Amino acid sequence: MFEYLPPLNEHNLPYPDTIHPIVVHFVIAMVLFAFICDLIGYFTKNPRLYEVSWWNLFFATISIFISVIFGQVEAGLSLAYGAAKSTLNLHTILGWSLSAILAGITGWRFVIRARNPQMLPSAYLGVSIFLVALVCFQTYLGDKLVWIYGLHTVPVVEAIREGTL
Amino acid sequence: MNSELVNQVAADFGANGLPYTLPIHPNLVHLTLGLFIIGIAFDIAGALFPLQRTILKFLSLTAVRSNFFDVGWYNVLASAIITFFTVASGFYEILLATPAGEDVSAWDLNAMQTMLWHGLGGVMLLTLIVTMAVWRGFQRFKWRKDSIRQVQWVYLLAGLGILFLMYLHGTLGAQLAGEFGVHITAAQLLRSGQDPNAVLR
Repeated sequence: MFEYLPPLNEHNLPYPDTIHPIVVHFVIAMVLFAFICDLIGYFTKNPRLYEVSWWNLFFATISIFISVIFGQVEAGLSLAYGAAKSTLNLHTILGWSLSAILAGITGWRFVIRARNPQMLPSAYLGVSIFLVALVCFQTYLGDKLVWIYGLHTVPVVEAIREGTL
Repeated sequence: MNSELVNQVAADFGANGLPYTLPIHPNLVHLTLGLFIIGIAFDIAGALFPLQRTILKFLSLTAVRSNFFDVGWYNVLASAIITFFTVASGFYEILLATPAGEDVSAWDLNAMQTMLWHGLGGVMLLTLIVTMAVWRGFQRFKWRKDSIRQVQWVYLLAGLGILFLMYLHGTLGAQLAGEFGVHITAAQLLRSGQDPNAVLR
């Protein structure tokens, strides 16, 4: 069966470079910026920024599902070695959880906006802080997988294939 | 950079060649790219708004055209601000990079060529992003303040051109990490003959 799958390159990927770290731009940047817009909008009483926040959040939610799909494919092909495994597991669990959490919060935001787009309950801001913290922690874990453990990088994949790692 | 020069400051740095465990530049890149791309995307969505009415209606999504232009403006503005820090941290980290010399990337460039193009490209892109933000500001607050379509077509076209440059530039950056192992702890450990599995556990 495996001969029907595309061959893997020196990153151990069927395509040139990792895609997951590119798609997560749109989750990380949009969630953080949505929060900043809410915060500024809340304290300067500028509801126009709530709309900017909403559209950023909307886009983040679409992106997180795409990034989970690519993340899962690339995690499966990552050849994660002993030391990297626990971080990868936690990153995977939190990634799936975040897709549900983010979708839930965006749904809540949709309702808030449908009722009155000029108003933002402070409870929502509180939950946003929690969301931002989770996104930052998830980014930290993903950073570790790339920058500490070097998953999908040529030197590491090479060492694993040669059996030295 | 020449490793003798880097050693003048790097004596007590980590295995990744930095005074901290995770590089800062790639994290700021998320913000630069995400904000700029979505900014341009929403301006395009605003400019082509009449075409999307049926889709938005089908999804029961209420959308006001001018709000799309708000997203276009604020996102590009935020991208322009953050990118100064992206480029600054990028230069700090590129000056401390000591990649292995022999290999060439998938684009047939060696490590030094890749670093030079990525450094030059970074400053060029910063210039372009800031120019775009200023240009966008003039459209929003002066030239097209009262038009239904707040952005000029040529602005959107320029934006798409910059997205292509970002793709080239981002790939060079990805190659620095993914192929040359710049500032990647495990890759540097392997290079110095150590076992990441033992050291990083």
